[in-house]
Amino acid sequence: MIVAVCVDDKNGMMFNKRRQSQDRIQRQHLRKLAEGRMIWMNSYSAVLFLKDSEQLNAGLESGAQEDFAQPNICVDEDFLDRAGENEICFVENQSVSEYTEKIEGVILYKWNRVYPSDRFFDLDLSGEEWKLTESEEFEGSSHEKITMEFYRSHSQGSQSNGEAKE
Amino acid sequence: MRKLKIWIAGLVMATSLVLSACEQMPELEISGSIQTTTETQAGANVSSESGDSSSATFSLAEVSEYSGDPYVAVHDNIPYFTEEELNAARDSFEFYSELDEIGRCGVAYASVSTETMPTEKRGDISSVKPTGWHSVKYDNVDGKSLYNRCHLIGYQLTAENANKQNLITGTRYLNVDGMLPFENMVADYVKETKNHVLYRVTPVFEGDNLVASGVLMEAESVEDQGEGVLFCVYAYDVQPGITIDYATGESAISGQALAGVTTKADKNSTAKTEAKTNGSKKDTGAETKTSEKSNTKNEKKQTYVLNVNTGTFHKPDCSSAQRTKEENKKQVKDTRTHMIEQGYSPCKQCNP
Repeated sequence: MIVAVCVDDKNGMMFNKRRQSQDRIQRQHLRKLAEGRMIWMNSYSAVLFLKDSEQLNAGLESGAQEDFAQPNICVDEDFLDRAGENEICFVENQSVSEYTEKIEGVILYKWNRVYPSDRFFDLDLSGEEWKLTESEEFEGSSHEKITMEFYRSHSQGSQSNGEAKE
Repeated sequence: MRKLKIWIAGLVMATSLVLSACEQMPELEISGSIQTTTETQAGANVSSESGDSSSATFSLAEVSEYSGDPYVAVHDNIPYFTEEELNAARDSFEFYSELDEIGRCGVAYASVSTETMPTEKRGDISSVKPTGWHSVKYDNVDGKSLYNRCHLIGYQLTAENANKQNLITGTRYLNVDGMLPFENMVADYVKETKNHVLYRVTPVFEGDNLVASGVLMEAESVEDQGEGVLFCVYAYDVQPGITIDYATGESAISGQALAGVTTKADKNSTAKTEAKTNGSKKDTGAETKTSEKSNTKNEKKQTYVLNVNTGTFHKPDCSSAQRTKEENKKQVKDTRTHMIEQGYSPCKQCNP
């Protein structure tokens, strides 16, 4: 599976059981990366994507053009157990360290800000196990600069990356 | 004009709340707070008078001593706001307490929204000299200046420039590590959702001290009932490696006598250069000062990695440093002797 997370400059994810931040453009970016692949998440995260869909539908009704592919979103509280090979897991409020063996790649969205934090992304990407293979910067809806980095696990073969398989 | 309307609305609202609070709790007129008061006993108290938090009271005595984290959650991270306050926060407002009899700030309070946020770069705030203000620099402080003019409500939230009712003397550490992360979180939430956030910052002064011991920061997103933003934290007005006399604002490197440090109150004539600021960046408070004391010694400076939690310093490539949590890690360039003088211990593994 591919884990997708958003972190601040201190690798934080949450504070007081709430996400540090969110950004509509970041979610669109993830949807584009998925290109039809399954995106797994729990109900906490699904609320955000549901709101996006509602806004998208409202836009379509008023004549706006859909500018990204609708992904296959699957909501399950045990999604990290259920996700299959090359499927994306959007993780906001739980640990991934016990799934290290299963993780083929990591899509890391950096807010480039410091927020308060009491839950951190607990996968160490600085070791030799992980290789940075892709990086991209873009402006978010409420963040000046969001950086997307893709890390590939050496032990999980070479096909995993941020793009869909052929 | 927009800011003026918001401020007037806040003043009207705050006045009515003060009056209603005074009817029930006339003794709570201290510090010009709305439904909050700062008492000056052994610990400072902030109390809330109704709603779920009716019996809840913030007491500084309950806050643990600073132990390496710039802030600590209090009251289970739930603000002391009342239902009445939250309901009123659907409209933007700002309120800044009148200074007390010795010139100290009181509570600052706002319903933050896109209406209250800045539309231009921040202006000059160097004309304000909050109580306890000293221009003093240390090599072991990020940016060197110990003190910043700390906005109670950050510029990125309510666009207040040289408002003396919104600026306190705070350490660089309080400003950047303690308060800024929360301001960032609120600002980005408001920009993303266009919702309001009820936001209150209470400086906590002990006795007649001129420098606050810390600040109580409370926030709750309004339209989603705290689903997006909810916190109640105490941020410490401390600076690792520096000892502060909160009564006067004088300071010294930890372990050295306060009287031995050349600090000079700003009432004297000094050449000042206001640091360049922009957007959401907080004031660095950087000023040049002819009487500034330099702590640099002849020994060659090296780059070290500090573990602010354990008080240990390491070589950058030390494996222990790499295992240190990011929130406890800080990189500095200093002499070994000076690091030890500040109370840090050299790592026994890498022997820096």
